[in-house]
Amino acid sequence: MNITIDFETSHLVFPTVIGVILAILGLAILVRDRRRIAAAGSYWRETLGWMDKKRFFGTLVLTLIYFSLMVPVGNFWPNTGYGFLFCSVPFVFLSGLLFMHDWTLRGIIPLAIVAVVGPTFVWWLFTYPLFLTLP
Amino acid sequence: MFEIITPLFLSLIVGGVFVGIVFGAIPGMTATMAVAVSLPLTYSLGLENGLALLLGLYVGGISGGLVPAILLGIPGTPSSITTTFDGVPMAQRGEGEAALRIGIVSSLVGGLISLLILWLFAPTLADFAIRFSYVEKFLIIFFALSVMAALSSDMLLGIFSGVLGVFVSLVGVYDISDGGNGELRLVPPGTEYWLDGGFALLPVLIGLFGLAAILEEAERGVPSAASSDEIAIGKSSSFSFSVFRGQTLNLIRSSGIGTFVGILPGVGGSAASIISYTNAKTFSKHPERFGKGEPAGIMASEAGNNGLTGGALVPLLSLGIPGDSTTALLIGAFTLQGIQVGPLFIGNNPTTWNAMIFAMLIANLVMFAMMYFAIRYFALVVTVPKHILFPVILMMCVIGAYTINYGIMFDVWTLLIFGVFGWLAVKLRLEIAPFIIGFILGPSAEVYFVKSLESFGTLSIFFTKSWIAVVLWILIAGSIAGSIAMSRKKAGQVADPS
Repeated sequence: MNITIDFETSHLVFPTVIGVILAILGLAILVRDRRRIAAAGSYWRETLGWMDKKRFFGTLVLTLIYFSLMVPVGNFWPNTGYGFLFCSVPFVFLSGLLFMHDWTLRGIIPLAIVAVVGPTFVWWLFTYPLFLTLP
Repeated sequence: MFEIITPLFLSLIVGGVFVGIVFGAIPGMTATMAVAVSLPLTYSLGLENGLALLLGLYVGGISGGLVPAILLGIPGTPSSITTTFDGVPMAQRGEGEAALRIGIVSSLVGGLISLLILWLFAPTLADFAIRFSYVEKFLIIFFALSVMAALSSDMLLGIFSGVLGVFVSLVGVYDISDGGNGELRLVPPGTEYWLDGGFALLPVLIGLFGLAAILEEAERGVPSAASSDEIAIGKSSSFSFSVFRGQTLNLIRSSGIGTFVGILPGVGGSAASIISYTNAKTFSKHPERFGKGEPAGIMASEAGNNGLTGGALVPLLSLGIPGDSTTALLIGAFTLQGIQVGPLFIGNNPTTWNAMIFAMLIANLVMFAMMYFAIRYFALVVTVPKHILFPVILMMCVIGAYTINYGIMFDVWTLLIFGVFGWLAVKLRLEIAPFIIGFILGPSAEVYFVKSLESFGTLSIFFTKSWIAVVLWILIAGSIAGSIAMSRKKAGQVADPS
């Protein structure tokens, strides 16, 4: 079978081949696992049932807020990396509190120290010795 | 050769092994995660020093998994799963430290044997692979994907995951530097600015192995770390080297199995240790003792999973195909330094090759010395609170993703996208290792496939180019047929358990 590849459309050749293979495989999975797929609703209800929703969704929300705020905060002090530093300290502290099971002063004090020292050390390491600009 | 062995080089190996053991010893953290979060540090270290750190982390991370596997019954890394079978009963008998030392010595043997195979075998394979044209190179990738899919727990989902990885890797521009036409594809309207270069490899890897692992832990409520009272380390005097008498064959066989499994692309350490353990049990004079605290079981498991470390580097350094997810991350370190791994790597970079072999050797010896003599202190690592570790690791993931391309915020969002995808993939029973290998090899597969067709103008060239192509097709067909036979046998056993 002879094939001529037009250079102008050559970027679509391989993605089309892979796309077709992916669709065939997807269809095969759909046919083979139809019962399991049909029961997906109960599977996800069960998963959500035993999942620690507070910690899982809390991690996602905190991470989203952390990522979203880093650049806007950093824009107040351009090219200093303060956006990373000022967002990381509360993020490490709050996610640590989220993961902690018993909120005791003995547990919170070391966490607070790590939340301040950890990001500050990383910010210093990347800003000065490694010369990599953070947001 | 000796100019690379500087105090910094040696300190990075020692530091890498130490941090790797700590990561491996904490359940939920893996060698892959240790390498992922440490990648940005290699920026300013240079290639040889950066690799010294990463290889130290790799060896330490794989070895550290035996600590919680024996003391708590929780494998620190998936590759230590079979270590729990005999390690826990030994710990319950008050022989925790003896079990740990048996595991440490076996890890050293596995690591050194696999290193020897890497040293002997990789250059030969690379010399052979230099002769490959685009056609054979494409078929090698196809073979790697088919082996990986065939050895997945579900072949169909394994193939789907690998092909999905290839598909995702094609997002963005068909690069002119690869002979492409510079046109965009698979990019949704409005996202051209961010997706012009596609998804960057390292944020994808950091997301899949860093954030996804933490999301899984969060889903399970971030189980508390063990207290020091729960650690059953036992008496220090209960270990003797005489336990290895008559176990030479077991150690060599398990190390060999681990190395061979490592050479197969995308097959992880858990497969290496399970196959080694099963073989040790089958060939043992006392199979009934396995699972009840038999030292030979720990030897097989640990020699097998450490055998993986050298084996997984063989296809990476000779063909450019990573043997497991951690070596896939090492590609990132090479990319950061602008070096491409493949058949020409060893010949063109003899200093780096020697540095890697030397670093692996030192890493194994340092791992042994650290763990053998300070195992009581490493055992305490399992008590480090996760509510302190995980937020710091998340922060390091952000640093890694952001700095990898000199400060692109979209890479941080890529980390989040693939972190969530990694968590979701486990729920959907997709296989992460084939996905990653597909993602890494996808762009090369495209270039080899399209260039082969442009040059020869026929699909039949993939079957008729050379005898190597024919052999590769036989291997591809064999791996698929073998997998189908295995799944039928498994299905038969389920249907008729008697």
